[in-house]
Amino acid sequence: MFELLDLKQGSSYAGDIDQLILMITIITGVWFLLTAGMFFWLLFRFRAKKDESGQYVTGDEPQLKRWVTWPHMLILLCDIAVIVMAVNVWYTVKQDLPEADATIRIIAQQWAWTFVHPGPDGELDTPDDIRTVDRLYLQEGITYHYKLSSVDVLHDFSVPIFRLKQDAVPGREITGWFKPTVQGEYGIQCAEMCGIGHGIMGARLILQSASDHEFWIQSNSPTPVAQVTGQ
Amino acid sequence: MKWRNRVLGASLLLAAVGCVSGETQHERGEALYGYCEQCHGDAGQGNADFRTPAIAGLQDWYIEAQLQKFRIGARGDHPDDLDGLRMRPMSRTLATDGEVALVSAYVASLDPVDPPDTMVGGDPVAGRVLFNTCIECHGERAEGRRDKSAPSLLNQSDWYLVAQLHKFRSGIRGADTLDTTGIQMRPNALALENDQAVRDVVAYIETLDN
Ligand code: HEC
Ligand code: HEC
Ligand SMILES: [Cu+2]
Repeated sequence: MFELLDLKQGSSYAGDIDQLILMITIITGVWFLLTAGMFFWLLFRFRAKKDESGQYVTGDEPQLKRWVTWPHMLILLCDIAVIVMAVNVWYTVKQDLPEADATIRIIAQQWAWTFVHPGPDGELDTPDDIRTVDRLYLQEGITYHYKLSSVDVLHDFSVPIFRLKQDAVPGREITGWFKPTVQGEYGIQCAEMCGIGHGIMGARLILQSASDHEFWIQSNSPTPVAQVTGQ
Repeated sequence: MKWRNRVLGASLLLAAVGCVSGETQHERGEALYGYCEQCHGDAGQGNADFRTPAIAGLQDWYIEAQLQKFRIGARGDHPDDLDGLRMRPMSRTLATDGEVALVSAYVASLDPVDPPDTMVGGDPVAGRVLFNTCIECHGERAEGRRDKSAPSLLNQSDWYLVAQLHKFRSGIRGADTLDTTGIQMRPNALALENDQAVRDVVAYIETLDN
C-alpha cells in the first residue's frame, strides 16, 4: 500500500512505522465501516411507515444492551492490540539505542540546521569535523547516533523518509539513532512551530554509498588528512 | 435585484483592474517589505532585541547586493553566523531578482533613522586615526562609495557595526569565495588590532551621524 503511494522507506525502522499506521488504519477503518453501515441500515430499516407510530426505547433490556457492551469489549481488545504494537515500535525507534558506527551532531536554530559530521578520523568533536548548514551527508547502511540540540527555541528534526521526528529542546542534548537504507537526496523539515521562518526551515539529506561518502569526507575536511593522522 | 449584482460585479472588476495597473513599483516594494517589517521595523530602523540592523536609507545597490548574497549563500551561510542564518531564509522569500530590486529600492527610499547608541568603552579620538584607512572605500564621512561597493556606515546601530567587524575578522563574513566584495573588506577588519580598536573606530563612526 505504501509502495503504491510512493512513500519511499529510507531507514531500518521506516517499515515498522508504516506497518503500525497501516494496522491502525485497518482496525479503525473496519470499525468505522461497521458502525456507519449499521447506522445507515437502522435508518433505512426503521424509516417512517404508514400505520406505524414510533416508540421510545430505553435500551435497558439485556438483548438491547448487548449491542453496546459487545462492541465495547471488542474495541478494548483492539485498543490493547494497538498499544502493544505501538509500544513495540516506540521501543525500537526511541528507547533502544543500537551500537553506533558513527555519530553526528545536529544543531537547530531559527531558521537553519547545522550538521557536524565526523571527519576522516571518524570521531566527533575533533578539529577535522565537517560542519555544514542545511545539508546532511550520510552513508547508507550504517547505524548513526545523532546528538540533537537547539540554540534558541523548540524545533523538531523531521525526516519523512526515515519516518523520524524528534523535538529539539533548548538546554538539552537528545541522543537518538537511525540507519539509512537507501541512497539519494531527500528532505528534512522542522516540525515544531519556531517562529516566522518555521515554514521555510528545510534542509537536504544526501544519502551516499560508502565510497561516495568517503570521498566526500576526504574532500571536505577542514584540516588536511596528513595533519590529523600525524603523518 | 439583478441590476444591483451587475453594478457590484462591474465595480469589483474595475477595482481589480485599478489595483493591477495602478500599483506603482514603490507600492509593490512596500508590500514586499511587509514581511521584513516584523524584524527590521516599520521604518527600517532595526531592532536590537532581534539583532536586526537599521536598513532604512542604505544605498539600493548595497541592499540588493546583500540580499543576493544571502540568497546564494555568500553571506549568512556560516554555521557560527546565528544572525545571518536568520536573515538567510528571509531573503529567499523574495521569489525573483525583480522582487529583490523592488524591495531594495523601497528600503533605500525610507528616511534613515539613527538607532540609539548602546556601546560603551569606545574612544572616538583613537577611532578617528583608525578610520583613516577606511576613508578610501567608505568615504570621508562614512557615506559610502559605490565605485568601491562600500556601503554607508551612517545611522547604523553601533552593536551591529561591532558585530560585523568581528564577523569579518573571524571569517564568518567575507571569507566565502562567492563574496567578492566582502573579501575586499576583510583585511581591513583584520587590520584592526583587537576588540578595543573595533570599538574605537565604531565610536568615531557614530560621531559622524547627524
Ligand atoms: C526574522 C527576522 C528578519 C526578517 C523577517 C528580515 N530580516 Fe533582514 N536581517 C535580519 C538579521 C538578523 C540581519 C543581520 C544579519 C547579520 O548580522 O549579518 C539582517 C540583515 C539584513 C540586511 C543587511 C544589512 C547590512 O547593513 O548589511 C539587509 C539588506 C536586510 N536584512 C534586508 C531585509 C529585507 C529586504 C527583508 C524582507 C524581505 C528582511 N531583511 C527580513 C533579520 C531579518
Ligand atoms: C578596500 C575597501 C574597503 C576599506 C579600506 C574598508 N572597507 Fe568596509 N567595506 C568594504 C566593502 C566593499 C563592504 C561591503 C561588503 C559586502 O558587500 O558584504 C564593506 C562593509 C563594511 C561594513 C559592513 C556594513 C554593513 O552594513 O553590514 C563595515 C561595518 C565596514 N565595512 C567597516 C569598515 C571599517 C571600520 C573600515 C576601516 C577600518 C573599513 N570598513 C575599510 C570595503 C572597504
Ligand atoms: Cu524550527
